[in-house]
Amino acid sequence: MLQSVLLILGLSALAPWVHRLVGRGSGWLFGAAAAGLCGYFVSRAGLVLSGGSVEQGWTWIEALGAGISFRLDGLSLVFALLVTGVGALILVYTGAYMRDHPRLGSFYSTLLLFMASMLGLVLADNVVSLFVFWELTSVSSFLLIGFERQRESARRAAMQALLVTGLGGMALLGGLVMLAMAAGSWELREIVEAGDAVRAHPLYLPAFALVTLGAFTKSAQFPFHFWLPNAMEAPTPVSAYLHSSTMVKAGVYLLARLAPALGGTEVWLNTLAWVGGGTFVLGALLATRELEMKRILAYTTVSGLGALVMMLGIGTEEAALAMGAFLITHALYKGSLFLVAGAVDYSAGEKKVDRLGGLGRAMPLTAVFAALAALSMAGVPPMIGFIAKELVLESTLHDPGLRLGVVLAAVGAALTVTAAGIVGVGPFIGRARETPRKARDPGIAILLGPGLLAALGLLCGVAPALFTDGLVSGVASSTLGEPVSKHLHLWHGFTPALAVSAAALAAGVVLWLLATPWRRALAPIKSLARFGPERGYTAGLGVLNVTASALTEVIQNGRLRRYSAVVIVFTGILVGAALVELGALRGITGIGEVYALDAALCAMIVVGAMAATRAKGRLGAVAALGIVGYGVTVIYVLYGAPDLALTLVSVETLTVILFVLVLYHLPRFAIYTNKAARARDLVIAVVFGAIMTLVTLVAADTQIAPTISGWFVENSVPKGKGHNIVNVILVDFRALDTLGEITALSVSALGVYALLKLRPATSGGNEA
Amino acid sequence: MSNLAVLPIVIPMATALACLAASKRPGAQRALSVLGASALLGATATLFARVLETGPVTLQASGWPAPWGITLAADMFGASLALAASAVFLLCVVASLAGVDRRRQAYGFHPLMHTLMMGVGGAFITGDLFNLYVWFEVMLMSSFVLVALGGERKQLEGAMKYVTLNLISSGLFLAGAGLLYGEVGTLNMADLSRKLADPQSAGLVAPAAGLFLVAFGLKAGVFPLFFWLPASYHTPPAVVSALFGGLLTKVGVFALARAMYVIFPAEVGLRGEALGWIAGLTMIVGLLGAIAQTNVRRMLSFALIGHIGYMVMGLAVGGELALAGMAFYAAQHMLVMTGLFLCVGLISMDRGTEDTRELGGLWSERPALAMVFLFLSAALAGVPPTPGFIGKLALVQGAVEHGRWGLLATLLTASVMTLYVVFRLWLEVFARPRPEEDSAAVEALPRPLPGSMWWPAVGAAALTAALALGSTWIFPLAERAAVDLLLPAAPGGYIDSVFEVAR
Amino acid sequence: MQTLLAVVVGVIYAASIYLMLRRNIVKLVIGLALFGHASNLLIFTAGGLTRGKPPLAPDGMSAPEGVVADPLPHALILTAIVIGFGVLAFALALVHRTYQMTGQDDTDQMRSAEA
Repeated sequence: MLQSVLLILGLSALAPWVHRLVGRGSGWLFGAAAAGLCGYFVSRAGLVLSGGSVEQGWTWIEALGAGISFRLDGLSLVFALLVTGVGALILVYTGAYMRDHPRLGSFYSTLLLFMASMLGLVLADNVVSLFVFWELTSVSSFLLIGFERQRESARRAAMQALLVTGLGGMALLGGLVMLAMAAGSWELREIVEAGDAVRAHPLYLPAFALVTLGAFTKSAQFPFHFWLPNAMEAPTPVSAYLHSSTMVKAGVYLLARLAPALGGTEVWLNTLAWVGGGTFVLGALLATRELEMKRILAYTTVSGLGALVMMLGIGTEEAALAMGAFLITHALYKGSLFLVAGAVDYSAGEKKVDRLGGLGRAMPLTAVFAALAALSMAGVPPMIGFIAKELVLESTLHDPGLRLGVVLAAVGAALTVTAAGIVGVGPFIGRARETPRKARDPGIAILLGPGLLAALGLLCGVAPALFTDGLVSGVASSTLGEPVSKHLHLWHGFTPALAVSAAALAAGVVLWLLATPWRRALAPIKSLARFGPERGYTAGLGVLNVTASALTEVIQNGRLRRYSAVVIVFTGILVGAALVELGALRGITGIGEVYALDAALCAMIVVGAMAATRAKGRLGAVAALGIVGYGVTVIYVLYGAPDLALTLVSVETLTVILFVLVLYHLPRFAIYTNKAARARDLVIAVVFGAIMTLVTLVAADTQIAPTISGWFVENSVPKGKGHNIVNVILVDFRALDTLGEITALSVSALGVYALLKLRPATSGGNEA
Repeated sequence: MSNLAVLPIVIPMATALACLAASKRPGAQRALSVLGASALLGATATLFARVLETGPVTLQASGWPAPWGITLAADMFGASLALAASAVFLLCVVASLAGVDRRRQAYGFHPLMHTLMMGVGGAFITGDLFNLYVWFEVMLMSSFVLVALGGERKQLEGAMKYVTLNLISSGLFLAGAGLLYGEVGTLNMADLSRKLADPQSAGLVAPAAGLFLVAFGLKAGVFPLFFWLPASYHTPPAVVSALFGGLLTKVGVFALARAMYVIFPAEVGLRGEALGWIAGLTMIVGLLGAIAQTNVRRMLSFALIGHIGYMVMGLAVGGELALAGMAFYAAQHMLVMTGLFLCVGLISMDRGTEDTRELGGLWSERPALAMVFLFLSAALAGVPPTPGFIGKLALVQGAVEHGRWGLLATLLTASVMTLYVVFRLWLEVFARPRPEEDSAAVEALPRPLPGSMWWPAVGAAALTAALALGSTWIFPLAERAAVDLLLPAAPGGYIDSVFEVAR
Repeated sequence: MQTLLAVVVGVIYAASIYLMLRRNIVKLVIGLALFGHASNLLIFTAGGLTRGKPPLAPDGMSAPEGVVADPLPHALILTAIVIGFGVLAFALALVHRTYQMTGQDDTDQMRSAEA
């Protein structure tokens, strides 16, 4: 299984070159590769559907629970077949549909990258692997939606899809980590087995909420559905593949996969059933008011995904079977219809249903495939769609906790019929309409996909025992966490479900016949959209941008003194808080011995420091600085540090000279700040100074351990061969400090030289 | 005891001197510079291999025993960051050959790069608090000059802020070291750790710990101390931004980790709440800043700040997973940031602007650059399976493990914000067609990108990829770094190695 | 005495901060110079004061007699003074060039890189 993912990844990397080499036939080549993989999964079906599984695993990062492990069971099998099978058809279709696109090679590459990611996602058994592939599908979807990058709308839709699914992705990351920690394992198989422990764990609720959020964004559930119709900016093969058959089902896949661990609780049932049911109806309703074929299909995809989520929420065996059946049904008819929509656009050059009609005569094959798919979508026997719809209705009818559920399902089903008529039948019947291009059936490469998928929809319905039973039971087994084996029948007698189904069908057809007035009746929805979730997204992004600008303008306002003030105040708060906690003042003993000379000296320094702040003239300020410097020098002399004093006196002198040299070129002091600012700064300065005084006192009075300097005093002469201990420390015991010091000083000299000598090239030739 | 430990200081110093001596012969100077950077990479790789094999490598400088002399001690954390740093450094030195104009190169650019690296290397391996101050100053002094070198108006104004704020931080560092010496009577980090192990005494040094938090936090670029960074990082040549963005803030994070974990015991209390708030606000404010920018380098500078928040979060959460995540994230962040800044340098060379409003159409014209940039952006956003994701995953697990829900939510939010920042940038600079007005320029055939700048960018991307591909083996090293930080007093750990206790 | 010196340290810090918060670029640099003095004096005071006993070993003796001032803070401060001087000299050159380039001595006007 790893091999299959790697194979497609390799193909993705080589795709542009392969395409250049093979030319026109490249779509068939890539398609054949995907079909080969599909064949591999078919060959494993027998084993998997009889209750076995195929497993593979390697360690990736042990400490993080990350592994590269795969497991093929019933649920994974169905998805793997969809990914590779539909994928093969899409690749063939692409070869013809985008024949003349200049960047077809890179399109293949991205599409194959997606295929590899999606395959990895549905096969992964390790939670971390699953997440890796999950995010990769989001990124490849971003690239594919924005493929027509010259269009602003395409770029915007790509960003929107990435942000919505990315938000969900991050929630999912948190949720999966919690889930794994609650279950005590990073392997999905073991997490599922630890279901009871998970549900009893305090992290259950947050894990459930976050995982569900991730799944809902990916699978376009209300209120996150809006990105999906906008994603129709992508080329049709992408819409057919990612945004109907596979990627958008990843959320459903994940919920189905985790149902045995997370499911069966009140919150699960309520959340999934209601959000799913609501999305089911809302998506179908919104579909019927659209005109563009792909957007209609996108909304019905939203609706279909809602139905799947709803079934997962109900969680009975019947619902699990309904989920499995509808999953397959939806992939078949929706893939087919998207490709039909593409074929119509390709051939006739028109996308809007109200400008299409009577195409059946010019495009007979396309029309037949569309009709088959539409019938399956509408749930008309003998299509598989009928079986699926019956199961959905049955499971809502039989669920005691969900009286309203059957209403939602019935309304959803009826509206789906309408949408099926609008998009799958309408364009092909009735009066022929003028189209930009003269319509005719496209070639085999384009018709193969819709034809095969539509035919499969029929086959699965007519002969469910052939393989539908097995696949649907396989999905249900994985979802329920226990083996299920059920035979599906087209006909199962006159049941309440059948009555509801018939009524829904009839209502749907009537509504379809009244499509135009119905659309007009729905017009007010447009004004409702102002309060819709997409508006929320736009507004949210707007607020984010405005907040970012405003906040940054305040925080990073370019004023150095504000920056310094913040740093100082922050330091004061941190250090001050530590002092308060310490009760610092208690420890301070008396003022100690004070000599008159020292006191006078201290007074001089204080006066100097204060004078520096008040100096009106530049030289006065420098002189005040000098007073402080020389005052400190004398203190060093008095307290046994002659070396320090010597150094400081020379440095201080040099500093003053430098200051005077620089000041010579600068203007007189101007007063820039007002009184209030000065008062505020004074408070900051005084408080900070007081804090530093206290800190110094605490340190001078605290001795946690004896100092190490006794060693220096003792060893300076015998080991360091020097009588001046400070010197010995500098040149021997801590010579590395001195090395760094010299380096810093040299760098400074180099810097001063370069600053004075090197002028920007543009400022003219005054380089002297 | 091994002289290996001193090489990260000695090699750059020797190279700086050689470059200075050769300043009249530009060709020789460039060759020496590249040679020195390569030698440094070789040396740190050897040092790293030794640490891998035998645990921390210690050298008592001039043979004076700890705690009296200055001890150089490379543990897993220090050695691996030193290795990553010298890899990044080599890339930047090579890139500077084309990316920095000849005039700057003539005025000490190469010696300054190497003195900067000397400071960085010293900071990663020194075991002495005051010596750390000295290496910080060497590094800062060199960076001051590199920011200002060239003397353009923006550079000078940026440098003024950079110098002032970093000087405040250095002063506070100095004060903190003085206080600690006054209280504990020693400067050796391992000795400090030992003597502060008693919780009774630990509280007394809390004010000093506060000063260190500010001093190192400012250098790391955390909220609310980061102002100098977006004020200056985008002003010098892009290669300088690449080097700074890759290295300097990580030295601050490294020092913060050392201070909060090795020197001060947990009781000092700055690890938990305070650091958590700082981390969270750094993430959000940094990324909001990035969202607000149109200058690409400034945008990256703000994003850089936001991701420093991730690393500080690792420190705030603590525990093996979060600290390992922090270390791994820091190493990959060096490579990714450098790569991205180099790409921006290439873009600005190509187009003469780095304003997103004026850029566009680069995907069609520079497809290879587009792919490298896309990959590095994805790594910055932590899209799996890039190493950024791996670091983030460890942080998420650490946060869940320790129940730090607020930080977890902030991290995930910041991730989405990063996603927005980098992919919006990608759409604007690469995917969107060029703004109409200069379509005349499109006619001209694009000049080939200078190889000596292009290949380092590719190299940064390749190393980033290698970090992900090799994560099975590399992440356990991050765990070792975390253990070194968490348990300095463990037998054979950091303290033992400094005092060369026989194992 | 250390109480007195601690107060002096605080006053120098306060003066230095006040100057750094001015918009005038020269005052800013004077503030930075004072900041260095304050930090050095802080180390000196916190390290413990010993009056009039420099850490020197008399000729012919292997160690000084009796208690002498702690030599280590002296060594640290000496290093810090020299480095601080280097930084300050660079800062002054920077001020000089910035003024030449912009004609401004008001840091609030130095915002072209952050527009």
